[in-house]
Amino acid sequence: MMAPKQRTAILAGLAVIGTIALLAWKPTVVIYGLQAAGLYASIAIPMGLILGIVHIVNLAHGEIMMVASYATYFACKALGMDPLLAIIPAALVMAVFGWVLFQLTIKRALKAPELNQLILTFGIAIALSQSINLIFTSQTYKLQLDYVSSSIDIGDLSFGTWSFVFVAVAILFAYGLKYFLTKTTTGKAALAVGQNPRGAAIVGIDVNRMDALVFGLAIAMVGGMGALFLTKSAIFPSVGGPFTMKSFCLIAMAGVGNIPGILGASLLLGISENILRAFRDTRAWADIVFFVLIIVVIMSRSLKGRKS
Amino acid sequence: MNRNLSRIIALSAGAIAIALPLFAGDYPLQVARNVMMYMALAITWDMLLRSGQISFGIAGLFGLGAYAGILGMIRGGMPAWLSIPFAAFVAGFAAFLIGFMILRLRAMYFSIVTLALGEIFRIIIHNLHDFTGGPEGIVIQQGVIFGGSSSKLYWLTLGGLAVAIAASYWFEHSKIHFALTAIRNNETSAKSSGIDIFKWLLVAFVVTSAIQGLLGGIFVQSYGFATPETVFSADFTLLPLAMALLGGVYSTVGPIFGAILLGLVAEWLKLKIPYGHLVVYGIIIILVILFMPNGLLGRIRQTTGKRAGRTA
Amino acid sequence: MTKLETANLTRRFMGLVAVNNVSFKLEQGEILGIIGPNGAGKTTFINLVSGIIMPSEGTITFNGRDITYMPAHERARLGIARTYQLIHPLENLNLIENVMIGSIFAKGSSLKEARRKAERLCEEMGLTNLERDTAKLTILEIKKMEIARALANEPEVLFLDEVMAGLNSDETKDLIATVKKIAAERKLAVGVVEHVMGVIRELTNRVIVLESGELIAEGPYEEVSKNPRVIEAYLGGAA
Repeated sequence: MMAPKQRTAILAGLAVIGTIALLAWKPTVVIYGLQAAGLYASIAIPMGLILGIVHIVNLAHGEIMMVASYATYFACKALGMDPLLAIIPAALVMAVFGWVLFQLTIKRALKAPELNQLILTFGIAIALSQSINLIFTSQTYKLQLDYVSSSIDIGDLSFGTWSFVFVAVAILFAYGLKYFLTKTTTGKAALAVGQNPRGAAIVGIDVNRMDALVFGLAIAMVGGMGALFLTKSAIFPSVGGPFTMKSFCLIAMAGVGNIPGILGASLLLGISENILRAFRDTRAWADIVFFVLIIVVIMSRSLKGRKS
Repeated sequence: MNRNLSRIIALSAGAIAIALPLFAGDYPLQVARNVMMYMALAITWDMLLRSGQISFGIAGLFGLGAYAGILGMIRGGMPAWLSIPFAAFVAGFAAFLIGFMILRLRAMYFSIVTLALGEIFRIIIHNLHDFTGGPEGIVIQQGVIFGGSSSKLYWLTLGGLAVAIAASYWFEHSKIHFALTAIRNNETSAKSSGIDIFKWLLVAFVVTSAIQGLLGGIFVQSYGFATPETVFSADFTLLPLAMALLGGVYSTVGPIFGAILLGLVAEWLKLKIPYGHLVVYGIIIILVILFMPNGLLGRIRQTTGKRAGRTA
Repeated sequence: MTKLETANLTRRFMGLVAVNNVSFKLEQGEILGIIGPNGAGKTTFINLVSGIIMPSEGTITFNGRDITYMPAHERARLGIARTYQLIHPLENLNLIENVMIGSIFAKGSSLKEARRKAERLCEEMGLTNLERDTAKLTILEIKKMEIARALANEPEVLFLDEVMAGLNSDETKDLIATVKKIAAERKLAVGVVEHVMGVIRELTNRVIVLESGELIAEGPYEEVSKNPRVIEAYLGGAA
């Protein structure tokens, strides 16, 4: 069997060669794939943080982002504000929302069996998306912003540049969290809670407070993403659902607790989807790529598991 | 409750259910049909839950069965009656293939893949528009079962419910009960007692999915058409789940109980708030999990001092 | 007659060798003690032979048949039964159902047969009031229930992992007598992991000693307990 490092190097090499080949053949696939990957990763990373430390699969993740987008939309309409200015306020408001949600619901289910937790967050997802549906109906809302349609022309190649902002956010999230979890006292405590809650409690860490903090932080991140998402996309009550599933798929591919790994997994998903989107005949199938990927990952894990 | 009394209650409920079309009008029959459909789905969801696996994919397998039935008729030239078992077969076979891939993993992995199933099947149906009718859906032009007679359709749905109840009863009173309960309580211990965990999970997943497909086949015969939006509607996942949880999980009686309560409320809510009535079920799910994880039935058992089925 | 045999059995967990090159034999009719300081690999060893985890190297044979990579549930059917260090009642089944489960799958008994068999076994183990919830049982009763469940699949080999832990001295005496009786009547090959040396002396014919995953001594308890390497292993562990 190969050493893990060697294998990673080979895989990375293959990825680089593949990307160069793709870039030469269909440059937009790589560019849009990268942008999509940024968006996926920015949403999946907070969900991965919750799963890794609070040990809860938050099936309401995409729906929470959707709620933040709606709040931002109406705030911007009312105040004539740009959604970019709303990112920080949205994050703060959602941090409070996340904290309250944690205290009222998640906390009570932490000691319950995993089954109950899954059903609980599923119920929250439904309650959120259907409340929005009840209040705003299934109509779509979209902001018209000039800077979103900015593009670059290189030779006969032309592509939108705004969505690179998601790539920046994804990298910021991944490395910001890495710094937080390894360099700050609070972050180290949070990591300890994630790895061994009982041990963390013994050394005097308030596990419950830490869980609430991490949950609030993650919801703040996805809340800020809600505002940013609004710059680019139309919103409607079920817009968040697919992001929940895709985020989970990315976390499963990276392995729970491996936040930088989510970046790689997102790249794989974003580029695969955009390869299919590049052709008329296959375009409609792009949305099942994540499902195929998760099945492949699960299968290969279970085969490996049986061998060792 | 003593055994004879519950037998009498069950028999009289059955008799009333069978005789209902003799004295009820079209609208009550339609409501009853919907309630029975959701009740049957709630029972099948619970049957799989007894092994500790949560499926969020009821709508996916239901919709798959619905399309299998209608396409079997329209593209395959099947008679209407045959399209219903065919729907069950297709959903069961799909569950076999998917289960073979994902049942080696547990809990959240299984649940999330099932959550994706509805979406995936919907996209597939959507994209194969030449064969399936795509987003506009597909209509049975002629040969719909029983010529659309509402009392006969009622009995057909009752038949579907009877299949679900019979299967659930079989799950409760056979080896399967021991296998699934042991797997839910402790897999390591189950293995040491000679239980082939994968095999029994696959049995439970295939049986419950086939019944969900069967119900989809019945649904499509009752309404004469299928569109991706109607047959893969989140209603078919959400209501059964809320019903089983409210009534009390890990039994046949709990989901029946919950379905009667919520089913009637659901029909009323659909009239009152056509958009977003599902929010009520989301909230019911949250409240039940937080405050009454054993459901109403568990609550009743607790207060009467009988053995409460603990949630595991 | 040799029932169970391992050759060079090894299990590594990410670089850590939990069981290292252990070869041993378990004979019909004997009660073998498996002892060693904490973390010596005793439970891992039982997990390997009962199929809960798979070995990295080496072989396991049962009645001369290679079962090295056979899944746990198939081993249970062949006749290898065990109990667990941490008690594992199946909490949604009652006392008798917990015992029934041992014969339903491993022996393919019908529910009726399984119930009759379970009633007999419970009587033999001194368990009464069989429809009780497992939450209402004492530790001794749960341990007996788990042994009864293991016996329900009519094993030829039985492993008991710290079955005496948590019992007081009267209960321990009771259970030692019970184990001896059931083993003798059925001519079982029994492997016992145990911390309390008094129990090992009373119960076993022979012991093997594990230290850091390696088998360092083997023989009757009286002899092994004088072995300087064994004394050192225990003292070293204590120091």
